[in-house]
Amino acid sequence: MSKQVTRREFLNLLSAAGGTAAALKAGSALGLLPHTAQAASMDLLAAGAANRKVAILGAGISGLTVAYELSKVGYECTILESSHRPGGRIFTVRHGDLIDEIGNRHYCEFDDEPHMYFNAGAARIPSTHRNLLAYCKELNIDLEIFINENKTSYVQDPALLGGKPIRNIDYTTHSRGFLAELLAKSLNAGEMDQPFTDQEAETLMGMVRSFGSLDEDDLYKGSFRAGYAAGGFLEHGVQKDIIAFRDLLQTQMGRQLLSANEGDTGPILLQAVGGMDKITEGFTKHVGHQIRYRSMVNSVEVKEDGVDISYDQDGSRHLLQADFCFNCIPSHLMTGISNNFPSQYVDALKYIRRGNAYKAAFQAKERFWEKDDIYGGISWMNNPSNQIWYPSSGIHKEKGILLAAYDFGDGSFHTAMTHEERIEAHLSDGEKIHPNYRNQVEKPITVAWHRMNHMLGCSARWQRNPSGWTHEEEELYRALQQPVNGRHYMIGDQVSMHSAWQESAVMSAQWAMTDMDRRLRA
Amino acid sequence: MLKSFLAFSLCITCMGGVYAAETEREPFDDRYCTTCHGADGRGNEGVQAPRLAGMEPWYLRRQLENFRADRRGVHPQDREGIAMRPMATKLSDESIDDIIDWVGSWEYVPAEATIEGGDPARGRGLYGGCAVCHGDSAQGNESLGAPALAGQNDWYLVTQLKNFMAGYRGAHPDDTYGAQMRTMVNTLRNEAGIINVVSYINTLSR
Ligand SMILES: Cc1cc2nc3c(=O)[nH]c(=O)nc-3n(C[C@H](O)[C@H](O)[C@H](O)COP(=O)(O)OP(=O)(O)OC[C@H]3O[C@@H](n4cnc5c(N)ncnc54)[C@H](O)[C@@H]3O)c2cc1C
Repeated sequence: MSKQVTRREFLNLLSAAGGTAAALKAGSALGLLPHTAQAASMDLLAAGAANRKVAILGAGISGLTVAYELSKVGYECTILESSHRPGGRIFTVRHGDLIDEIGNRHYCEFDDEPHMYFNAGAARIPSTHRNLLAYCKELNIDLEIFINENKTSYVQDPALLGGKPIRNIDYTTHSRGFLAELLAKSLNAGEMDQPFTDQEAETLMGMVRSFGSLDEDDLYKGSFRAGYAAGGFLEHGVQKDIIAFRDLLQTQMGRQLLSANEGDTGPILLQAVGGMDKITEGFTKHVGHQIRYRSMVNSVEVKEDGVDISYDQDGSRHLLQADFCFNCIPSHLMTGISNNFPSQYVDALKYIRRGNAYKAAFQAKERFWEKDDIYGGISWMNNPSNQIWYPSSGIHKEKGILLAAYDFGDGSFHTAMTHEERIEAHLSDGEKIHPNYRNQVEKPITVAWHRMNHMLGCSARWQRNPSGWTHEEEELYRALQQPVNGRHYMIGDQVSMHSAWQESAVMSAQWAMTDMDRRLRA
Repeated sequence: MLKSFLAFSLCITCMGGVYAAETEREPFDDRYCTTCHGADGRGNEGVQAPRLAGMEPWYLRRQLENFRADRRGVHPQDREGIAMRPMATKLSDESIDDIIDWVGSWEYVPAEATIEGGDPARGRGLYGGCAVCHGDSAQGNESLGAPALAGQNDWYLVTQLKNFMAGYRGAHPDDTYGAQMRTMVNTLRNEAGIINVVSYINTLSR
């Protein structure tokens, strides 16, 4: 435990030579950072007399993007969609909506009010997803802030303090305090002089103290950052008790808590006002008339000069002939659809695994969390339901919709249950945080993406190995990105290296259109 | 203040009511087989759902009923069966009839061979025991309750034979045909035997 940080470790850090990250130096990489670039704006050639018929398979956001952009420049687009609704994995559930999970079809009985919706698929838009945001702007979609991190929400784990829920702020303040105290000790241990200049050492110590709210002796003795046990406004604030470091170490949840608000889910996140499918609606206002619903693609045949698609609608088979085809049907469903794709393309489709996500929601009879100082954000539980999301919208209204469970990694636990079993599981998980939960919620919906009709998955999984893409995987990915005969493009977030984001779906569509355009210009 | 709030919320409720009455609920039926089992029920390796086109109506009925009654797809290791069972749980007798009619309308197209590394010559020897019920050309035999095997997706046959061997399928006391299969499958001895026999079945046509 008393092992000190060695001088060598410090030196490595300072030169960034010890890690894999290349050090950023002013004047080199820094000057090249492309982060001021705008969203790609499509500059497509107007459609000519020939080559103007476009078939789009699937009304996911990538398919809608293609329809919207190509229609602007004069292409004649037809969208075949097997489901009764557009949007695919952008799925906002409201009063009366059908949740078409095979084996668990049910209707949503939420109250019929604008803020009473649930985003069962996509829910968050990172502010850096600029291509998606550019469409939101162009299509006049109202956005608002999505609250992901809430320091007042709870952390609950049977291993932590006997399962008593604690506020996120208690967990994070105390953890940071203890981590900072450890770091300060090792920094003060006399190793500092050589690798750091005095000024650097002072800066570093300042960061550490402020990170952990240390006192003048570099010790953590609690902090008002965790809020007050009493007073604090008209009276002196009383500091809350510290939770012992050893107690905090009984839960593994720190890993999740300290990374949940970084990367794609770091602030600022946005959402569409009234539900994520307002984005879909923005597109369908322009191209909705091109969609043929309940039209299930049955075969795709790429020809020398076009693509023939057969599909079933209203109990009969139809043929659609097009010059180009853009296809966002999930890869694991496409493998069951007759096609004449080249073998490497088929291999790529077969290689991709499908993710297994699960979400559930309750209508709350009253916004009980607001009485508990919680406005939006997530409570984390170490149980299969895992998360409770408090709505970012509808603040101070009478009722609201709560996310009752979310498992993006492996939703098979709840997927395997009946609807009733799932609901009971979420009630008993949730009441560990909110004791009266069971009486406060009603009208549940459950959505197992692995069983959603026409989807059977939540997102493409290319990587088999967490350590990175293999050469073979990358080759298959590149093969799938290329068109067949210059006529048929697979699109969607499945044809990206960053699946499970709308941005990736949009960008794959833009990539495919640009490629088609380039070939036509050549 | 309170009064106006009440009036406001009343008005919302009545608007909601009217709206709800006017909106029709999205209808659905039980013809969802092709989502998993692929175009015209020809099977989909991507989700490990076997070919239904060409499947005998009596065999299809028996399996749907087995799934519905929790006689198949309950063992936690039977991954594909577990995926299928809930799809069948809520089917009515009429829906099962309708599905069987629908499946009967699909053209039978033998599945392509995908498994590698098997020895069909050895498989042929092993197949002798299977032929008694499933027929010399694996064409099936209704009177013995044995379905056709030729033309079925080979990856599916492999999974099912493994499941029988491990007791993941056919272990339910009311699954009589499954129990027979569990005894018979032991003649294949091990996984290599399974691959060999399926390689041989791949050479047969109905
Ligand atoms: C639980 C969950 C949470 C998510 N969270 C976020 C988030 O917070 N932020 C974010 O940006 N993204 C999120 N995503 C990812 C995002 O929803 C997807 O990346 C995006 O919507 C995918 O769009 P797509 O165009 O690739 O196609 P999809 O949405 O997959 O659409 C495919 C379409 O093809 C149709 N189809 C299937 N078979 C056929 C057939 N035979 N014939 C015709 N049509 C067919 C389907 O019905 C569907 O409409 C989430 C996804 C899930 C499931």
